[in-house]
Amino acid sequence: MLPTDEELVAAVQGGDSAAFDVLVRRWDRKIQGAAFRVLGSDDEARDVSQEAFLKAFRGMRGFKREARFSSWLYQIAMNLCRDRLRRRRGREHVSLDDVVDSGEPALRQRPAALETLQARDVERAVAAAVDALSDEQREVVVLKEYEGLTFPEIANVLGVPLSTVKTRLYRALGQLRIELARRGVDG
Amino acid sequence: MDCTEVREDRMDLLYGEAGPEAERRVLAHHAACASCRDEFEELRAVRQALGAWRMPQQAPSSRTRRVHPLAGLAAAAGLLLALGGAVRLSGAAFEYRAGNATLRVGGADLDGRLAEQEARHAREMQALHVALDAHARRDAPAEGPLLAKVEALIRENEERQARRFNTSLEDLAARAEAQRRYDLARVSAGLSYLDGKTGQHVARTSELMGYVLQASEKK
Repeated sequence: MLPTDEELVAAVQGGDSAAFDVLVRRWDRKIQGAAFRVLGSDDEARDVSQEAFLKAFRGMRGFKREARFSSWLYQIAMNLCRDRLRRRRGREHVSLDDVVDSGEPALRQRPAALETLQARDVERAVAAAVDALSDEQREVVVLKEYEGLTFPEIANVLGVPLSTVKTRLYRALGQLRIELARRGVDG
Repeated sequence: MDCTEVREDRMDLLYGEAGPEAERRVLAHHAACASCRDEFEELRAVRQALGAWRMPQQAPSSRTRRVHPLAGLAAAAGLLLALGGAVRLSGAAFEYRAGNATLRVGGADLDGRLAEQEARHAREMQALHVALDAHARRDAPAEGPLLAKVEALIRENEERQARRFNTSLEDLAARAEAQRRYDLARVSAGLSYLDGKTGQHVARTSELMGYVLQASEKK
């Protein structure tokens, strides 16, 4: 039977650094995937994953076991992603949480010529639509849709209230509906 | 119930995290609100579309290259061949007797070859250390002028600040002296004025006293 994350964390804290390798193998791909979707760069996603594990290893002594290791790891990774996005843009982005819903007639803007898209085009369109979201909305979408975290877990990872997570996701989905429709994908 | 009031419950339901009570509230609201019901279906469709974005098994990277499965098999075959050759050369023998497989490692000069290999490793390590030292020495002089330049810049900056500080002090002293002289001049003028007033007062008093004396003498 495979050891749980909690057992592995306890082992690492007890001095068994080999147990950390198991945690890395277990979560590296997931963390990398989340970072890739947030940052849009595979190389940066690899760097973020490595940095996240390094930070986690260094901070393992202070890690309290009542928290989930994966949530903590996602939290570190998302913070690293934010740092990179900030450095990349050279400024803080404006939160769209405060922007009032536009209630646009999005579906009417759909270009008829793009109605029949190939699967690969749909994938590209979805990636572009997610990329067009604000950083905060993209984080929530990635953690929810692609990482499958629960709402309380996301709230824990991002350090925001549960209601904020749901509001961000609701608005993000609305925004995605517009973006996908603009790109000819029936959302 | 207001549309915004059930928004969080709707998100829970959309992602399968709603409890029975929340689900009942949403369904009751949807039964009465066609707009929310339609939107809910649209959000479901968005979720479905999002599923199209899959992570590649091995995302393309500028740093790593994907290894073709056939190349992997070829590498494995090569490794087996090399291993077999090494086993033969080392004088080892693989035997299978009565259901037991054994690998016999031997050869008269095995110890000698192991010692030779160890010596070779030691030589390689030494060469590596030498290369690292050379690298460190090569880098060291390059940092010298840079450090000197940084120190010169710091020194220059400190001198400039000291000069600026001294100039400010001199300026302050000059302004204080000018103010002191101006104040003294004003005090002096005030005293002279007072002296003048006192002199007039004394003269007038004397004059009055003279009148009084003259009047008393006449009597």
